[in-house]
Amino acid sequence: MSGAPDLVLNGVCVRDGFAEAFPMAATRLLVTADTARWALTAARSMTGFATSVIGCGCEAAIERELAPAETPDGRPGVAVLVFAMSLKDLKKVVPLRVGQSVLTCPTTACYAGIESGPSIPLGRALRYFGDGHQVSKRLAGKRIWRIPVMEGEFVCDETTGAVPAAVGGGNFLILARSRAAALAGAEAAVEAMAQVHGAVMPFPGGVVRSGSKVGSKYPGLIASTNGAYCPTLRAVTPTALPPEAESVLEIVVDGLSEAAVAASMRAGIAAVCDLGAEAGILAVDAGNYGGTLGPFHFHLHAIMGGAP
Amino acid sequence: MSGLRLVLKAPLEARLDCTGLLPAALSGLSEAAAERRVLPYGTSRAALGDLFTVTRGASAALVISGDARLDFVGAGLGAGEILVDGPIGAGGGWGMTGGRLVVRGAAGDDLAAGLAGGRIEVSGAAGARLGGPLPGARTGMRDGLVKVGGGTGPLAGVRQRGGLILIAGDAGERAAEGMIAGTLAVAGGIGPRAGRGMRRGSLLLGRAPDLVPDGFASCGAADFVMLLLIARRVPELAAAFGGGLSGRAERLVGDRLSGGEGEILVLS
Repeated sequence: MSGAPDLVLNGVCVRDGFAEAFPMAATRLLVTADTARWALTAARSMTGFATSVIGCGCEAAIERELAPAETPDGRPGVAVLVFAMSLKDLKKVVPLRVGQSVLTCPTTACYAGIESGPSIPLGRALRYFGDGHQVSKRLAGKRIWRIPVMEGEFVCDETTGAVPAAVGGGNFLILARSRAAALAGAEAAVEAMAQVHGAVMPFPGGVVRSGSKVGSKYPGLIASTNGAYCPTLRAVTPTALPPEAESVLEIVVDGLSEAAVAASMRAGIAAVCDLGAEAGILAVDAGNYGGTLGPFHFHLHAIMGGAP
Repeated sequence: MSGLRLVLKAPLEARLDCTGLLPAALSGLSEAAAERRVLPYGTSRAALGDLFTVTRGASAALVISGDARLDFVGAGLGAGEILVDGPIGAGGGWGMTGGRLVVRGAAGDDLAAGLAGGRIEVSGAAGARLGGPLPGARTGMRDGLVKVGGGTGPLAGVRQRGGLILIAGDAGERAAEGMIAGTLAVAGGIGPRAGRGMRRGSLLLGRAPDLVPDGFASCGAADFVMLLLIARRVPELAAAFGGGLSGRAERLVGDRLSGGEGEILVLS
């Protein structure tokens, strides 16, 4: 907190805080299937248990659904973003997830969603499942792999491109009078943020109820509950909550660029503020570590003033 | 800078070896300097100016009037464009690595032999060994695209190693013989003994062969996502088969007589 006057939008106090984010490596995958249902099934499976690099090895979520006209094979599809702490990690986790969740899913195919940057293996790693019967084909400058499976063939690009300078950990907190009000605010935010391309919210439904601080009283734990924002601890720990706050929810954003994260945060905070104080929203704040952990600082006032 | 336009003064009386007649080699030359270039002609040699009227063209492409005795047009082309108004002889686009060769007419034997990149478009028919190997080479074309508006002679795609060949008409006998990889697509009929000795690669057919070639076994019909993908990434291929691919095809695998696992896909 710098002590600058708070920004008040529709009765909601936007605090003079900032979200602290860090560099990640990321890629986009396009998953298609005979029907939107199965494309979504594969995408959900692939992005499951990918909320935080702390425990999952990567962060991933569905970016948006794709109409048949937007996909490489003319079938319904889903764009997925996957983030890891390094390109090395990304190269490890992407083939693993595609192999377990897309290759296995009926009628699906998987294509590169980014054409530039370092190569992340898809078919290059998965082809061996074909046990020598896999077929490669290079058309229009791109190599694809056809891997025979019991259902027919699994088709995927050989590689996908990557963004080595993506941004992870953009965030904001919704402080509300009640749990229901916090949830309504979070849902509105996620809905608005889903319209921003190039950024995803990797936590369940896009929302985190268990925001964390760095470290713990227990040795070996690198993160623990963020006591300053826990309403039930306000009498026993230093608190950042106003007396009337009963519940806090956090939205975490990962993006392919700093601008994408800023745009996503702006859309989310605006949606929360649109609900206003009458809906029980008290304030919007952001999580940071004092500015020492990540090089990307998203100042809430600057974001809501239109300057990322 | 605009390219040169070479207009034949009279039909050729002997075969003219056009090796080296490339946009890059002629760029920067005046019309007079270009006319002094000497090419093998029959059993002797001839200056370009003896056979052609050389003028500065409107486009950057090298434009040549066609003749069935023009051999090795575009041989070794790496960049730029050559347009031929009329037929060409043998060896068109030999060993090309890039650029574009467009022939508004027919092409002779050994078109696209050893092709390593770029694209060749021939509006008419093509002769034997389309996309085959260069003399002494073990493999045929390995990349690039060849589009033939008419039919072809025997051995189209012989020992093809990669790339894409599109034949709008019929392919002669022994197509895809010894094919190693790549795709040969034939919208018309296919001659006998196709795919003999085929190791890998795909032969796409618009209609079923009269006889299943020896050494090939049918895996039955199936839906191929790969065909849907090709239709979007290579619209020209889909266009060669009438504008769209249903994705459904019968898959024949062979040549099992030589342990190969190439495929003939007969499109539905």
